[in-house]
Amino acid sequence: MRSFQLNRRTLLRGAGAAIGLPWLEAMAAPKGDTKPPVRMAAMYMPNGVHPDLWTPEGDKRDFKLSPTLSPLADLQDQLLVLTNLWNPGSVGGDGHYVKISGWLTCTTVTKTLGVDVSCNGVSMDQLAVQKSGRQTPIASMELGIAPVTTGVDKNVGYTRVYGSHIAWAGPTQPLARELNPQLAFERLFRATSGQAEGAKDELLLLDRVLTDARQLRQKLGGGDRQRLDEYLSVVRSLEDRLERAASPERSKWKPRATLDPAAKPAANPKDYADHVRLMFDIVALAFQTDSTRVATFLFGNEVSNQNFSFVDGVTGAHHSLSHHENKPDNLRQYQLINRWHIEQYAYLLRKLRDMKEGDSNVLDNSMVLFGAGIRDGNKHDPHNLPLVLAGKAGGRLASGQHLSYEKDTPLSNLYVSMLDAFGTPVERFADSTGPLPGVLA
Amino acid sequence: MRFLSLLAAASFALAAPAKDYSFAQAQAFLKSYCVTCHQGAMPSAGFNTAKLNTLQTMMEDPRKWSRMLTRVRDNEMPPKGAPAPPLEKREAFVEYVEGTMKTAACADGISPRPALLRRLNRAEYSSTVRDLLNIHINAGRGLPADGAGGEGFDNAAETLFLSPMHAEKYLAAAREALEYGSKDPRSRARFLIAEPGDKFTAEQAGRKVLEAFLPRAFRRPAQPEEIEKYNTLFLNAYKRNKSYEPSILHALQGVLISPQFLFRLEDQNAGAGPRPLDDYALATRLSYFLWGTMPDEELFKLAAEGKLHDDTVLTAQTVRMLKDARTREFAEQFVEQWLNTRELGRDIKPDAKLFPAYYDQEIQSAIRYEPILFFQELLTANLSLLNLIDSKFTIMSNKLARHYGIKPEKPLRQQPVVVDLPEGSHRGGVLGMAAVLAVSSYPNRTSPVLRGKWILDAMLGTPAPPPPAGVPPLEDKVGTAPQTLRERLERHRLNPACGVCHNRIDPLGFGLENYDVLGLWRTEDGGKAIDSKGVLPDGTTFDGPSEMKKILLEKKDLLVRNLTVKLLGYSLGRGLTLEDHCSVDRIVDTVKKENYSAHSLILEIVRSVPFRYQPGTSVNIPVIPPAAKAN
Repeated sequence: MRSFQLNRRTLLRGAGAAIGLPWLEAMAAPKGDTKPPVRMAAMYMPNGVHPDLWTPEGDKRDFKLSPTLSPLADLQDQLLVLTNLWNPGSVGGDGHYVKISGWLTCTTVTKTLGVDVSCNGVSMDQLAVQKSGRQTPIASMELGIAPVTTGVDKNVGYTRVYGSHIAWAGPTQPLARELNPQLAFERLFRATSGQAEGAKDELLLLDRVLTDARQLRQKLGGGDRQRLDEYLSVVRSLEDRLERAASPERSKWKPRATLDPAAKPAANPKDYADHVRLMFDIVALAFQTDSTRVATFLFGNEVSNQNFSFVDGVTGAHHSLSHHENKPDNLRQYQLINRWHIEQYAYLLRKLRDMKEGDSNVLDNSMVLFGAGIRDGNKHDPHNLPLVLAGKAGGRLASGQHLSYEKDTPLSNLYVSMLDAFGTPVERFADSTGPLPGVLA
Repeated sequence: MRFLSLLAAASFALAAPAKDYSFAQAQAFLKSYCVTCHQGAMPSAGFNTAKLNTLQTMMEDPRKWSRMLTRVRDNEMPPKGAPAPPLEKREAFVEYVEGTMKTAACADGISPRPALLRRLNRAEYSSTVRDLLNIHINAGRGLPADGAGGEGFDNAAETLFLSPMHAEKYLAAAREALEYGSKDPRSRARFLIAEPGDKFTAEQAGRKVLEAFLPRAFRRPAQPEEIEKYNTLFLNAYKRNKSYEPSILHALQGVLISPQFLFRLEDQNAGAGPRPLDDYALATRLSYFLWGTMPDEELFKLAAEGKLHDDTVLTAQTVRMLKDARTREFAEQFVEQWLNTRELGRDIKPDAKLFPAYYDQEIQSAIRYEPILFFQELLTANLSLLNLIDSKFTIMSNKLARHYGIKPEKPLRQQPVVVDLPEGSHRGGVLGMAAVLAVSSYPNRTSPVLRGKWILDAMLGTPAPPPPAGVPPLEDKVGTAPQTLRERLERHRLNPACGVCHNRIDPLGFGLENYDVLGLWRTEDGGKAIDSKGVLPDGTTFDGPSEMKKILLEKKDLLVRNLTVKLLGYSLGRGLTLEDHCSVDRIVDTVKKENYSAHSLILEIVRSVPFRYQPGTSVNIPVIPPAAKAN
């Protein structure tokens, strides 16, 4: 194998997409080190999959990856491909908004143009955050490519807010996503640089406005009070983070790498593919440096019409091709788009795998979910969702299998198992009926 | 009738109920399509139609009716497999029920609705910081974009959520903006109005700065104790670091992350009945509506003098504001969301290989700004709103004119200007604009379905319902393909389940087939002649866009009603309730009488009850009494 001796800046400013962000050399394990923490990420692909070219052949450990999943061949022992799961709460409503916004919550979102937005639950990633306490500088990272789609969809009666969020800190708290890789990096850097200069000053300011807001709250009516509570809660969470940065009382785990400010990515990725990879670099860096242990990412908002003509053999846009009308040429292009997503996912997994952590690597200590809220986009099919879970979660997952369940097994059961593997077990999650057999080692 | 007026309006072109529809027909509808499941001791979903058996129930339990109505309108009920009414029956039922409820709500007189606490959205934040500090950087560029609610705008209080990320971003944005401003003499003159020296001590200078800054940041006079709080921040910092400037900037940073700055707070009305907004709140509503930013000196001055609410003053100020260049921000925010052109270049990008012309920066910007500047021109020059359907002018740069193949009389430059359209230009109105034509296309080809949907939704406010459950998608039978898109869509419409809506959608879209993805005029596509004929469901026929625009002009009242709904929703930052539609009726009537002038629409909104008043503790005391109910 050829080894590259490139200047880091050259890497960053030049090739960008293909090579991505470099990371720092692994540091020696400090004395008295503990077991590496488990990280969790969920990557959402809009508009479903070609239904016939997704599911692997074979079962359990003896399986052959499908054409769409074949870019994951070298990672097969890290995978759990899951067949026949669904969120019964996503049936009906409409073809897209109900599907995506309930993907991690396993609920039915309230149908509204805005006034009573609610996911009627909490997403599993945020539940993990809430239960794991605050062991990292950043509780979780929500990332994406496209800004929230504006407008309300009057054809179906939903605000497009639903189509642009998978992470919900509570029923009425869809979490905003960072889209700019440079800002995401700066955020990581600010949060991890410890005794940040100025943090004390900022704490004084936060204290001031918190007092103000509390007094103001007394004067307001019910609905407004709720809005101000949101303000109080986000300011408090920042206060809390700055305080922790000032007096680090974090977990005993010492990450094998720290962030290098010189590794800051470009603010404006040159194209969509470049953008996706830069965001995945951020996830990898965040996990490696233990800046956060939970991340979610949207390849696009649901109903995205991203033009995929940059993929060889594709000439059209995502959502319109997903309504393939069973025409061979549309189906062919649809599958190429699905496969492109899997290639990016594989890029992230390899990147994590190449990050050593003692005897293991970051992928061994992570679980990275890839999936969609519908299967065949042509009919908005909520059954048998396309789902892959990669990584071994520190040995908690029985990776290297294709697990096929009874038709319409609750997706929430998978999340019960994942939350367990993450170290934040729950009795129940949404409509779960128990853990998903075969997932845990 | 307590809750009637609070209901969100379910339909969009909410007109009066059809006169020849009776409650008995509505009952017959329920009996035919709903009762089978929704009756008895265990009705489906706990919803019993027996409770909807009198006209009185519509007034007493409108929520129940409304819940049912939404599901019927959206084709969710009756469910898949159950006998379903034809579309006309469905619509007649929805129209009757909603119209009846609205009439009842309007009969109570018109009362204002509570305004939810509104956070400045990203654009408003940027503009406000710009004006507050007189800086020329976009301070809010790092903030996350806001989602839309209500009538489809990202200034709706209901969807202006906050995430933990916001707190960091606000802190960082304020720091960055203040640092930037402190290095620019023009900015310093705006906000760092005093410095320690011969005239003042540092303590005095700090107080001076805060006394001037707080009222502008809070958009109302600041209480002495508020100034004291921020002065304490300043003094403590000054004690610590003995340096004036970092200390005052520190205190100002605090102001910029305070809820009083980030939220548009209006004094609560503790009285029972409604009252006019206080002048500062009115100035703020006006200025965010028409300029997308904080009030200027003149508005503040009139508010301080207590004159702004006076009808004559309010009218004069509104007209002054409409003639001001700052309407650009309003035009940009409103038009791009109303016409959905904001998605052009975001989710919807013309294919770079097929349409390289779009990737010229100048063209791209001219395309994007054409509808924005056009709307702004209607506002500033007080033109007819019907120009939106067809016009004798548009706004072009030299490159856009060349793109359209138009040779203007006077040569154009890079800056777009108003251009009179020559005969046969195929332009005029928003339907001839590249931005609209591109955003209603696929990246690689035009789509009559998308364009037809766009006209129904954005222009007429009569979106087609979603496809009923279980309708098979368009499928090609082996052997019969390939056909033209027109043939395929015609066959699709033969299926009655598809046809009911596509008979409305597709013909309108075909009327625009002479425009390619980027809006270029074409007479053939792929060697085949363009056929831009259409037959509307009522039998009206047309050939080409100019004939279609004539038909749309006959539907002008739909456009004006839709625009009124959108603008009122935008100005209030919320979705409209049934009762707000009573105000919409009144506004539309006046606008018609005023020959559809742009100013009449804006003025009527500004003068309307929902815009000018706030409710008291008892929400249904009307401002306009029931006696005045008949408009």
